[in-house]
Amino acid sequence: MKVDLIRIRELVRKEFIQLFRDRKIRPILIVAPFIQILVFGYVVNYDIRDIRTAVLDQAQTRESRLIIDGFRGNKIFRITHHLSHDREIEPLMIRGKVDLVLKIGPGLSERVRGGNTAAVQILADGSMSNMASIRVFYAVTVLRSINTTLLHELHPQVIHYGRVDPRIRTWYNPNLDSQYFFVPGIVAIIIMIISLLLTSIAIIKEKEAGTMEQLIVTPLTPLEFILGKTIPYIFVALVQMAVVTAFAVWWFDLPLEGSIPALFAASCLFLLSTLGIGLFISAVSSTQQQAVMTTFFFLLPFFMLSGFVFPIANMPEFVQWLTYLNPMRFFLVIIRGIFLKGVGLEVLWPQYMALLLLGAVVFSGAIGFFRKRLD
Amino acid sequence: MARDFRSLYLAFAVPILLILLFGYALSLDVDRIATIVVDHDRTALSRDIVRQLGASPYFKILGNVGDTQQAGKELDRGEAAFAVVIPAGFAAHMRHDHEAPLQLILDGSDPNFSNIARAYVTAFFDGYNNNRLESFLNRQGQTVLAQPVEGRIRVWFNEDLESRNFIIPGIIAVIIMIVGAMLTSLVIAREYENGTMETIRSLPLTAGEFLLGKAAPYFFIGLTDVLVAVLMAQILFGVVMKSSFWLMITASSLYLAVALALGLFISILTKSQLVANQAALLVTYLPSLLLSNFVFPVTNMPAVLQGLTFFVPATYYIEILNGIYLKNLTLGQLGSSFLVLAVMLSVLSILNWRQLQKEGFSR
Repeated sequence: MKVDLIRIRELVRKEFIQLFRDRKIRPILIVAPFIQILVFGYVVNYDIRDIRTAVLDQAQTRESRLIIDGFRGNKIFRITHHLSHDREIEPLMIRGKVDLVLKIGPGLSERVRGGNTAAVQILADGSMSNMASIRVFYAVTVLRSINTTLLHELHPQVIHYGRVDPRIRTWYNPNLDSQYFFVPGIVAIIIMIISLLLTSIAIIKEKEAGTMEQLIVTPLTPLEFILGKTIPYIFVALVQMAVVTAFAVWWFDLPLEGSIPALFAASCLFLLSTLGIGLFISAVSSTQQQAVMTTFFFLLPFFMLSGFVFPIANMPEFVQWLTYLNPMRFFLVIIRGIFLKGVGLEVLWPQYMALLLLGAVVFSGAIGFFRKRLD
Repeated sequence: MARDFRSLYLAFAVPILLILLFGYALSLDVDRIATIVVDHDRTALSRDIVRQLGASPYFKILGNVGDTQQAGKELDRGEAAFAVVIPAGFAAHMRHDHEAPLQLILDGSDPNFSNIARAYVTAFFDGYNNNRLESFLNRQGQTVLAQPVEGRIRVWFNEDLESRNFIIPGIIAVIIMIVGAMLTSLVIAREYENGTMETIRSLPLTAGEFLLGKAAPYFFIGLTDVLVAVLMAQILFGVVMKSSFWLMITASSLYLAVALALGLFISILTKSQLVANQAALLVTYLPSLLLSNFVFPVTNMPAVLQGLTFFVPATYYIEILNGIYLKNLTLGQLGSSFLVLAVMLSVLSILNWRQLQKEGFSR
């Protein structure tokens, strides 16, 4: 099939004119990505700080104050309530006002000074299980360091025994900053939404307005039509990608360790898949409502099964295999690899290959499918 | 709507897909941490540590590599998330009652993962050292020292710490928003785009009747979705309500009505399907996913966003669902959240009604 570049150029021009003439679309193209990146950037935050802690100190001794000071003297815990009675605990927990309650029983100091173990109760709101596990762990860590202090007071001599000194180093994101991890992923999601939705809707609009028939009777071939309809959105998506990335780096102070051309190349490969899916959706839908719901049906699993928030390693093996069909999965590994790890093609080539393969299959499949529908 | 089979089908397929995904596949809990080992020591002791690590449900030993550099490559490629490097002379140090350093490298990209993983690693080696201390003291004929204080941990509301137990109720809120607001945001806009609004306006139909007629089918679809979700959560995943079923249905109907009113409001204002859809995505779907305490903790957000969460209906609905699913609360304890939803519904209904009157509908 031959492709006439001039015809494509004209179609692209028409598409751009239609896109930018629409006053209501302009804010969607320009404002929405910034709102998304700002909101997502701040919302997806698993940093551990300011754990809201209520304290019920029934001992009121030096030892109990030592424990409370251990919780006060850092940024991880914030003591929000001092309680004086057991019955104050439940309402606080039920209304979700505190994350942890620390309860020190009356006999603490007697037991400690007598060489016995005294229990300190840690009550945790388990509603968000992942956050609860981390909070409990930090509370236990504080108690452990208090134990070291107290043991040293009780038994000043030091016991030497063969023990492991675990020296944990954290790579790539040493401060465990949530934004470093999530913001690059948000960039990927923004391009996905824009490219998927705009292409499918651009074609459906022709169908709904009845102009599709007019386009079919023009000498335009189906391939030319498809190229003319997708090229503008490749362009729009890439510009958005650049702007959003620059904004993210500047606003959130993200490290961009790897190379920008590698990022650009990955985006182009990723767009092959998303535009292909957009075409496919527009071929099987006849109204915008259908297209939107179908887009949603694709977006959700792409989003959820990509490792963006929910780790792939946690999924059952069967679902892990399914994620290999998800272009987003590979794109996220690339974009995070480039941002955080500073690696390039030498490490990420399998992901690039996968994106290329998926993109080629999806896009050519979509073209074939679309042509059949047109004929 | 009924003519449009695919939209109807999707209105049911999306919720089922979501529940299945979240129930089976998505979890924020950490286990089976992919671990790679570099053993320069090659002694019985070093092999024993690796064996104990592998026996824990939290770690999964992928294998041994020759040096730290190779382990680093596995971390770069994302194949492993945790590397244990045992230096030469490790066992000798231990035998001579010295501290033996162990180099541990954790992939910190994902802070949720690495925070929890770090906790497991620390706890593992604490336990290991305690065992060493006990056997050391036993050999010396000394009694084991009691730890002065010990944390007794009790977890409330979600005793097994399963992320599923809070994610599934949250996903019901998202589903209702998708079906309620996203679908209805298109229905009136479509009438404007097709020019059929003129025809409807000339009918003897009041604004209230028109709104109810537009909302009713979606109300039933939405409520069916809720029932399907509740049943699936219970039968497939064992996520059971602690409090009353009827309270849950009442709350869901109220929240669904708010979602429908919001969808219709967007539809009337925008008059274009594309814009309505984008607006619905931005105003309904994303906030109920992001700003509702669903999986992203509100207390970690900056003050501006925390303020915004008060305007998101899903915040109140999820609070009610958490109360019903996890905390065993009664209507009395959840009254304020019900009240806020009711106020939101009234305000949106009045706005819709007046807007339609401005456009020529009769009372």
